[in-house]
This record gives sequence, structure tokens and C-alpha cells, in this order.
Amino acid sequence: MYKTAMLAKDLVAASSKPLLLSILADGESYGYEIIKKVRELSGGHIEWSDGMLYPVLHRLERDGLIESEWKEADNGRERKYYFISADGRKALKNQRQQWLAVHNTLSKLWKIKPASI
Amino acid sequence: MAGRSQHLEQIMENQARFDLNVAVENWRQELAAQPNLTVEVRRELETHLRDSIAGFRQRCLNDEESFWLARRRVGQPPQLGEEFVKANPAAVWRERAFWIVLLLAALQLWNKVCPDFEGKIVLHSPTWFSHHWASVELLQSLVYILPIICFVTFLANGRMNWMDSAFRFVFRSRLRFVTISLPVVLILQLFISSGSGEPADFVNAMYFTNGFLEMGSNFFIAEIWPLTVIALITWLMPTQNRRTPKRA
Repeated sequence: MYKTAMLAKDLVAASSKPLLLSILADGESYGYEIIKKVRELSGGHIEWSDGMLYPVLHRLERDGLIESEWKEADNGRERKYYFISADGRKALKNQRQQWLAVHNTLSKLWKIKPASI
Repeated sequence: MAGRSQHLEQIMENQARFDLNVAVENWRQELAAQPNLTVEVRRELETHLRDSIAGFRQRCLNDEESFWLARRRVGQPPQLGEEFVKANPAAVWRERAFWIVLLLAALQLWNKVCPDFEGKIVLHSPTWFSHHWASVELLQSLVYILPIICFVTFLANGRMNWMDSAFRFVFRSRLRFVTISLPVVLILQLFISSGSGEPADFVNAMYFTNGFLEMGSNFFIAEIWPLTVIALITWLMPTQNRRTPKRA
């Protein structure tokens, strides 16, 4: 049976920004939950290492695309939650157009139905 | 058969011996030994590790298995350090500078609080060191400042759990730090001045505008060093990630 390979390293790096922004556009979240969500949504094809996630999150925060806050979670411990900022939403819109442009080009070449931008 | 039951006993014994809190504490120490991880990053990674352990335990794994799997997922502390310093080298240096200034401030405070100790003079000139090399005075001086250096180093490495909450409270925001540290320094300064008999001068000075102004300027000059340190700490303190975000 054909088994889909794990995403290549360079693609993982390139797709981390739109993925993080899209997840946070749906609502606040924290590191562990984000990794879990990506694993589930990708059907296990995108496996982010924990060590890689936080530097990316911090870089996005430095760029002003996301913001963070320490908040008490249900279990009584504090967790650092991340939110998308207004600039982050603009960046996401831009990323969406670029990724769909790539997707549509490949779709035409591979004769798959293109997505709407 | 006997071998198998012995193996089972061994496993059970290991499980009984495994203490999750101790294991997490050891992991924290290992993380704290990484110079490239800031206090905030270490705290965030610890919450991640704990979430990850809880996730594995929900899948019916025992404490020990959950801990080791979670630990492996989070990554090796040296590699984590490298990743973070690559992502933001400035933050690491900023925090180092913060701890150095905090150490200087603690030394200054220590110097003021214990004015009668013989080895009091902490910030000596290089010539003093060349004259007193390997002398009793130097040794006294070192003994005198050593507790403060140990204290700040331990605090920086997150080895003082009981101090952690107090530290977090004071350094929660820049405004909070300034509102707490300014009165402390001013009260301390007044307390030390009153000890050396200056309040009488202060009372007299009240009747003469010039004297009062002079007194004010002297007081201001005496406060320049602590105020500069407070300003430096305020500027360097790692709070940018703790502000309440404006939600989009």
C-alpha cells in the first residue's frame, strides 16, 4: 500500500508560519496544544518537534504577528497563551494568497481541481 | 518462570522508586545549566513538559514512561539552547546584562545594609587589589560579597523555588518594579542618612532656602547611582512577553 512520506524539513520550516497563524486565527492556544493540533490535522504527516516550535513562536511574536500572555489554566498551573494580532491577520491573508497560488499552479499541472483564492 | 517474576519485581520496584517531581526538578536543573535559555523560555518549556507528561498519562502510561517520553519529545537541553540562541541571540545577551546589573544592585544594597562590617568596601579600585593581593582584607571582602553572588546566581539559574514567586511578583511589569524599588531605595537612603546624624542638618536646612537646595542636590547626587541601576534594570528586565496583549 502507498504510504505518504513525512513532510521534508524545508517544507516544515516554510509552512510553520501560515500554520501557526491559521491556528491562532481560530483562537488563543499554547505550545503543547498547537503541536497536537498540527499532528491531528495533518494526519501525522507534519510532526513538529517541541524544540523547534518555541523559537518560531517567539520570532512571530517579535515580528508583532502574535502576542502572548501567561494565564492560569484549568489545572491551576500557569501557561503561556498565544494570540494573533491585527498585523498577524494581515500577514495570514498574504500567506494564504501565496500558498494558494502555489497550490493552484501544482493542481493545474497535476490535473487536480484548484482551490479558490 | 522465576526469572520472569524477578523481572516483574524489578519493574515494580523501579516504579515505586521513581518520583515524578524529583525527575522534573532534575530536568529543570539540567535546563538551567544551559546559558542560552532565558528564565521565561525555561518556564515555558517546563509547562510544555508537564502538559506532555499529562498527555501520556491519559494514555495509561505510568509516571516514569510518561516522563521519559515527554522529555524526549521536548528535546535535549543543549540542542534546545542552540535553537533558541539561533532564533534570538539579543534576548540571551539582554538577560545576561540584566543579571549582571541586578548583581551590582544587590552588592550595593548589601553594602548599605551592613555598613559596620570590616570588609565593607566592595567595589575596590584595581590599585587596591594590587596592594592587597592575597591579603586578609581581600579574603574578608570576598567572604563578604560571596553570599550575594551565590544568591543572584542561584536565582538566575532557577534553583530557588521559594524565591521564584516573590521574584515573579516584583518583576511582573516595569511599572511594578519601579513602584516597589524606588520607595525601598529612598527609604533605605533616608534610614542610612539618619544613622549618620544628617536629619539635624535637614531640619536646619528647612529654614534656609539655599541650604535646602544644597541638601536637595546632595541627596540627588547620592541617589544617582541607585537610580541609574533601577533605570538600567527596568530597561533590561525581560517583561516584553508578559504584557496583556491587545487581542485582534
